Amino acid sequence: MAVTAKSLPLTDAEPSEREDPGEHLMLDPRPRGEMNAMVMESMQTTSRGFWGLTLILGLVVAICLFVAWGYLIAEGLGVSGANRPSYWELFLVNTVYWIGIAHAGTFVSALLRVLKVEFRRPFTRAAELMTAFALINVGLSVFMHLGRVWLAYWLIPYPNERGLWPNFHSPLSWDFLAISTYLVASTLYLILPLIPDLAMARDRSTGWRKIFYRILAVGFRGTEAEWTHLKAAMNIFAFTVLPIMFIVSTIVSWDFAMATSRPGWTSSIFGPYFVVGAVHCGVAAVVMVLYIIRKTMKNMKYFIRLEHFDALGKLMLVISILWAYFFFNDYMVSWYGGDTVSKILQKFLEQGPVFWVFFTVLICNALVPWLTLWNKKVRRTPGAMFVIGMLINVGMWFERFMIIPLSLTINHMPFTWRIYVPKIEIPLTIGTFALFFLLYMIASRLIPLIPVWEVQEGQMAHSLRKVGKATVISTTEIE
Amino acid sequence: MATPNHEPQGKWGMVIDQDLCTGCQACVTACAMENNISFVGEEDAGYGRNMQWIRIERFWTGAFPGVSTNFQPMLCQQCGKAPCEPVCPVFASVHSDAEQLNVQVYNRCVGTRYCANNCPYQVREFNWRDYPRPEPLNNQLNPDVTVRRRGIMEKCTFCIQRIRRGEEQANAEGRAVMDGEVVPACAQACPANAIVFGRLDDPESHVAQLAASQRGYKMLEDLDTLPRVTYLKGGSSHGSNG
Amino acid sequence: MAETITLLALFEDVEPAAAGIDRLHQLGLQDDQIFILSGVPLMERVLGRPKQHTKIPILALAGAIAGFLLGLFLTFGTQILFPVSVGGQPFLPIPPGIIVTTVMTLLVMLVFVFLGVFFESYLPAYGPLNYVPAVSDGKIAVQFTCPPEEQPKFFQAMTDSGAKSVDLAEAKPL
Repeated sequence: MAVTAKSLPLTDAEPSEREDPGEHLMLDPRPRGEMNAMVMESMQTTSRGFWGLTLILGLVVAICLFVAWGYLIAEGLGVSGANRPSYWELFLVNTVYWIGIAHAGTFVSALLRVLKVEFRRPFTRAAELMTAFALINVGLSVFMHLGRVWLAYWLIPYPNERGLWPNFHSPLSWDFLAISTYLVASTLYLILPLIPDLAMARDRSTGWRKIFYRILAVGFRGTEAEWTHLKAAMNIFAFTVLPIMFIVSTIVSWDFAMATSRPGWTSSIFGPYFVVGAVHCGVAAVVMVLYIIRKTMKNMKYFIRLEHFDALGKLMLVISILWAYFFFNDYMVSWYGGDTVSKILQKFLEQGPVFWVFFTVLICNALVPWLTLWNKKVRRTPGAMFVIGMLINVGMWFERFMIIPLSLTINHMPFTWRIYVPKIEIPLTIGTFALFFLLYMIASRLIPLIPVWEVQEGQMAHSLRKVGKATVISTTEIE
Repeated sequence: MATPNHEPQGKWGMVIDQDLCTGCQACVTACAMENNISFVGEEDAGYGRNMQWIRIERFWTGAFPGVSTNFQPMLCQQCGKAPCEPVCPVFASVHSDAEQLNVQVYNRCVGTRYCANNCPYQVREFNWRDYPRPEPLNNQLNPDVTVRRRGIMEKCTFCIQRIRRGEEQANAEGRAVMDGEVVPACAQACPANAIVFGRLDDPESHVAQLAASQRGYKMLEDLDTLPRVTYLKGGSSHGSNG
Repeated sequence: MAETITLLALFEDVEPAAAGIDRLHQLGLQDDQIFILSGVPLMERVLGRPKQHTKIPILALAGAIAGFLLGLFLTFGTQILFPVSVGGQPFLPIPPGIIVTTVMTLLVMLVFVFLGVFFESYLPAYGPLNYVPAVSDGKIAVQFTCPPEEQPKFFQAMTDSGAKSVDLAEAKPL
């Protein structure tokens, strides 16, 4: 885009409307050296609280993930809560939920890059890290639900002496390919813009850190050729990772939608419904992570500002409305013209023993954002945004819970209807969350979280300009 | 997959007469004995993990004193268009073109349980644990059937070991399989002769004639799974106790 | 070939760097004798440099075609190699083929693009290279070759354009 005109009523505005241009990150440039130093300092500063939390998370991961999972593998899925008819349990809920979180990074990094939205600049890497670690959790959750996980490699298409191949009629095979593709694509997309920042870290480190960054920065210097190739590749990646994001979520939704006979699952709107749902909890999770980074890491208040929460809040509101649209589509069709069993399922969800799940979903995903996010003051309060983001995540997790184990309860054979009660899935779920936070905490001290070169690039392109009597922000197309 | 040395053998099917079924569960017991089905235990069975390849579903209708029961033996319908087949990512649930059955390959199953979710009849059993078989129960194992470990999906196979044995016997004697020669465990045990088994594509066979009966219906027919099991039910208009 | 030396001039900002490059052109240097290092990607036009060409889009296309063929093989090839009949679905199913082919096309394309970045830039490069760490602090380094006897002239030209420092380029491991 050439020039965006956003009026800053500097001279003749009411005092309450007056905005300080320095409040915008893009209009508050500091020397690159200073920004580099800030990022390096935030990376190298650790407190006792940091180490204490890391230790606790490590313990939780060791017990809730490794020990509990070892027990699960040794004893079999009997120690979980799955039964007939809820053959799929919390592990699948977690799988779909973490894919949603993974969409955070892609949405923020790829979509906002493609649309040349400038406010994305400081937090693309924080979001991409979320994607990478969330996808690890997706893989773990999928492996957890397998009955014979030691044979999971049979899902990989490799030539073997028996001539056996995986079944590509099956949505689970598409799942495997799509999630692998998403993992590879997101990781590579994380690495590419990271290389210049690793070079910066290499130049500013000593000791073991210097060796570490030197190896990872692969000798990047910033020559014209290197930048040209990097930018061309990042462009292609941004445009490509977007369809991959849509495809992955759609294929995951087809795990359920392809079921011939499950009421509540054979809905042709599952594809877009899951995509929007994933983006919904993903963007909410980005807000949560940004709040934590801003609060706990040094110098982050310079990079992550209230304007970012403001913009993300508006995005969250729009996505929430979109989610409600797809939810209502699915619900309405079933309510109006669904067959007997579908109607029984709806009644079970709304009035059955766990009816609070249904209402939690609606309140957290739709009501809370709609009541709060239209208000600029709320959007510009990071604490409030954190709470709203958390509620949305809770709501989306319960929405998956509603779709998978709860909807499986009602089917065409009434003799088999039975309530699902999770057992070992609970510690394993806690373990995956702990793993996510642990990995993120470790990464925050090893990898520069802010893509400083992109921030500087953006700051070079932004300036103030007088149009008539008004002073406006102007963005020039310098790339 | 055609049996070795044989041409495709044709369409095996079953007829279950619900007007004759007394709900005695002899078929359930015989099936468990024949197919080395594990004993799950009271707690797991109560939670919905019972391993019954054929189960008797009992429905009560009416109010006292006019209560009546309806027994519905439910087993794998060996669908022609089985929803459980295309969804297995490792080809553990495939269609046998020879016998026109849905076969479960125990060795290949990795336990994703998608097939069980997709089965509209909910007849697939999962080995949730390694269930113990204390001595001397292991002497009861049928050598014709494998023993499954935890993490594997299983289901009714129409006693394919008996079908194969019948075919081999007939082949060795140089003749075709006779109607009534192959009898699965459930049909063999039923005291009311409510279960009839045979070749549906042989118009002379008992099962084919019963399947064409006026009382015949297929379970969940509108789902277009083309099941091979026909249920006979007439209700009061045909003189049953319903 | 006459002996040449390599000088490296550090500039703080874009305008002085562009002016410096202009002076180098006036002093007779060609574009391929000048080498730019920067901490942010700068459009070539900003500094008065010729456009850089990249083969990455072609690599992307090659990767896409390879991925497409891989996807076709996975869905249809494997079924032909080991035919298994499932669920009344056609033997060579087209809609699943579309899904698998799309995913594989995108995957292999991205892998090719990623590897292309390294391949085209001759990375990883762990040997000695001409570099100043100030580049990653936002300075623009203009490296050029000139005959040793003209060094003072070039030195003066760069300093007049606003260079913060002009030194002999040292190749050392990064």
